[in-house]
Amino acid sequence: MRDYWLSKLFFDLQSPPLADEYRAGRAQVLDRYPLKPEVRAAVESDDVATLAARVNPYLLRFYFLMAGMPEDEFLRRIRASATPPATKAAHG
Amino acid sequence: MAELTGVYAASHGPMIVRNWEKLAPAERDGLTSAFSELGRRMRAGRPDALIMISPDHWVNFFIDNLPAICVGVGETHEGPPEPWLKAFPHRILAGHPALAGHIVREALEHGFEPSVSYRLALDHGFCIPLWKAGLDPLPPIVPVVFNDLEPPYPSVTRCFDWGAMLAQAVASYPGKLRVAILATGGLSHSIGEPDMGRIDEAFDRDCIRCFERGDPAALFGFLKQRLPGAGNGASEVRNWVAAHGAARGRGFELIRYDPIPNVYVGCGFAAWNLKDAARS
Repeated sequence: MRDYWLSKLFFDLQSPPLADEYRAGRAQVLDRYPLKPEVRAAVESDDVATLAARVNPYLLRFYFLMAGMPEDEFLRRIRASATPPATKAAHG
Repeated sequence: MAELTGVYAASHGPMIVRNWEKLAPAERDGLTSAFSELGRRMRAGRPDALIMISPDHWVNFFIDNLPAICVGVGETHEGPPEPWLKAFPHRILAGHPALAGHIVREALEHGFEPSVSYRLALDHGFCIPLWKAGLDPLPPIVPVVFNDLEPPYPSVTRCFDWGAMLAQAVASYPGKLRVAILATGGLSHSIGEPDMGRIDEAFDRDCIRCFERGDPAALFGFLKQRLPGAGNGASEVRNWVAAHGAARGRGFELIRYDPIPNVYVGCGFAAWNLKDAARS
């Protein structure tokens, strides 16, 4: 299931002027989108795994490229998102 | 009556352009050779118009209005909006409204319900193959956008039927016109998913064998079983299936296949055997 406003944010950020504004300061752009608190927190913390569950993978990949995350780092995080959170569970 | 001059398929991975300088010389040579041969064959057919089957990579459509299949009927189309395709030499591409309108009417007449757009932007899925194949001047283009990116997708069998209908529409076009069909995308790749970068070479080679043999039923069975495991980008094989339908399910000749990790894509290029199709 897609998160509509998260998807809309990523879709809109394909506009170069909006992307420039976003890179200069995320908050003022994020304020225009009625994101759920946990979704906004995931955006603000570059939480690839949480966002991956809520948006089309092509838009996800585009977003992190646009936001400046190095490709190797994105690949590391998206690949890790497939790993069951065993460590977290083990620590309660 | 128009004439179908050729049916082709080509991969279109963005990294073919974005990562070109970082590709190994052998990778660049392989892609250059494949696109050159594709272009040579297409030019040899002297098409007056080109029907292109490609997905939309979130350029024209969004999840608030996402057609399964859309035909571009405009007099012109916009060039690619991707910033890394600024060097693509065409900012406006000619359409072929007469052929496009005829396709839409034929579609509706025969039980298909396409969406219609009078103004599409043609993204890298269209423009990388056009550019790399050296098609300049470009023939007027009728874009047929298949949703290969966001589930639910059109079924594989429906895509085949769409291709057959496109060929029928070309045959019934009331005018003298030479028309080629180019499907783009695939083969296996994964974008933005946990297996991003994985190329399923076994899938690609088995898929190619299915296309070479023809036999649509066997192809459908293969894709039902194996397509879901070949990466989300492999969904674009639907466009190849439509091309297969346009060629009446006759086999294709593989021009070249290279699994290229630096492009993230199993890169395939093919031309269908239309002379066999004509005899069927």
